[in-house]
Amino acid sequence: MTAPSEEFRCEFADREDLIAYLKAQFPEAAARDDRVSPIRGGRRAADAAMKRLDPVDYAASRNYLSGTVTRLSPYLRYGVVGMAELRDAILHRAGRKGVATKLLNELGWRDYFQRRYAQIGNGVWQDQGRLGTGYAPDEYGEELPEDIATGTTGLACIDAFSVQLRTIGYLHNHARLWLAAYLVHWRRVRWQTGARWFLGHLLDGDPASNNLNWQWVAGALGHRPYVFTRENLEQYIEGAYCAGCPLYGRCPFEGSHADHAARLFRPEPGLPTGGAR
Amino acid sequence: MTGDGLLRPVVWVHGDCLDPGGPALAVHPGAPALWVWDDALLEHWGIGLKRIVFITECLLELPVAIRRGVVPTGVIAFAREHGADHVVTTDSPSPRFRAIVAAVETEFPVVVLPVPPFLPYAGPIDLSRFGAYWDVAKRHVFGQPPLF
Repeated sequence: MTAPSEEFRCEFADREDLIAYLKAQFPEAAARDDRVSPIRGGRRAADAAMKRLDPVDYAASRNYLSGTVTRLSPYLRYGVVGMAELRDAILHRAGRKGVATKLLNELGWRDYFQRRYAQIGNGVWQDQGRLGTGYAPDEYGEELPEDIATGTTGLACIDAFSVQLRTIGYLHNHARLWLAAYLVHWRRVRWQTGARWFLGHLLDGDPASNNLNWQWVAGALGHRPYVFTRENLEQYIEGAYCAGCPLYGRCPFEGSHADHAARLFRPEPGLPTGGAR
Repeated sequence: MTGDGLLRPVVWVHGDCLDPGGPALAVHPGAPALWVWDDALLEHWGIGLKRIVFITECLLELPVAIRRGVVPTGVIAFAREHGADHVVTTDSPSPRFRAIVAAVETEFPVVVLPVPPFLPYAGPIDLSRFGAYWDVAKRHVFGQPPLF
């Protein structure tokens, strides 16, 4: 037996005690961002989220920002809950195949990205195909624009997503796609910059799902890039942002998918743009 | 490797296996277990306090010692302190995981236990597009034999 290395404390009076201790242990991380999510870690919290699992509501409302989502992704990411375990819980709760399909399909995306990660490893940081935007990678900016990082673009939706990302460490899947598309296509910043920003904040951030979703938005997975319209967004946010937006009437997302493709991308024959996943 | 003939394990817990009932902890419930904060990775990914608190809350429900530093160095030191003859862990697709396992294997045998798969299917699967993957996956994921 040799002498043990210094170990972290494992007993805390409460969450505040834990947070204060970790701030002191990780001053560099706290200097980067010292906010703490209201979402708790641990198997007990995961079990509570599992109890709320509702495949029927999920299938009907998951695309809406106010809709039913599982919020299990942070627990899946760290293996607190296993994919097979969750699959079985969904099948048990759904009762019949049709009801379970939507949720299993979403889990399928995670499994798909994990399998690709196992194949390409650190290639998740490199374009997996030629960008479908007509631009070369070096025509994109490297830096995360300050107004996006601080949620001060003036666009009510984008600023709200930026705040949620940094304060909660969780974003609805649609909000992730919209924020990513805005950064990559409207601001023409490299998707890797956005992927790194998300990884620093998202509780469920892992290089497989995170980076490959960013590549999907950027059009780097060998298909058309993802753009959205204000109409798409308004349909799913149920009026949450547009009506009170200071840029209402001057919204850069106003217009059709074809309008955005013509404005944002260099024409390339045979690469139609737009549409949802 | 299988671990045949090895008697004194320590468990290395990493960021893809924080379930108290996960494979490595379940197979070796009484074995000393360790988590090592990967200082270089925290810096490289720009990880802030949110994720550190979340992970720690997961760790506090596990029977693990928590340390920090260079992960393989920490795992090897922990195994030596406990007089272990091998290290047990749970599989991960991460290239960093594979590099850490390879580094630990210079000093100790490492047994990597599989995670129960989402898809109970080990045959070929086309990963070029999600649609091609799902065409196969949906025939297996419901726990029924394929129709064709």
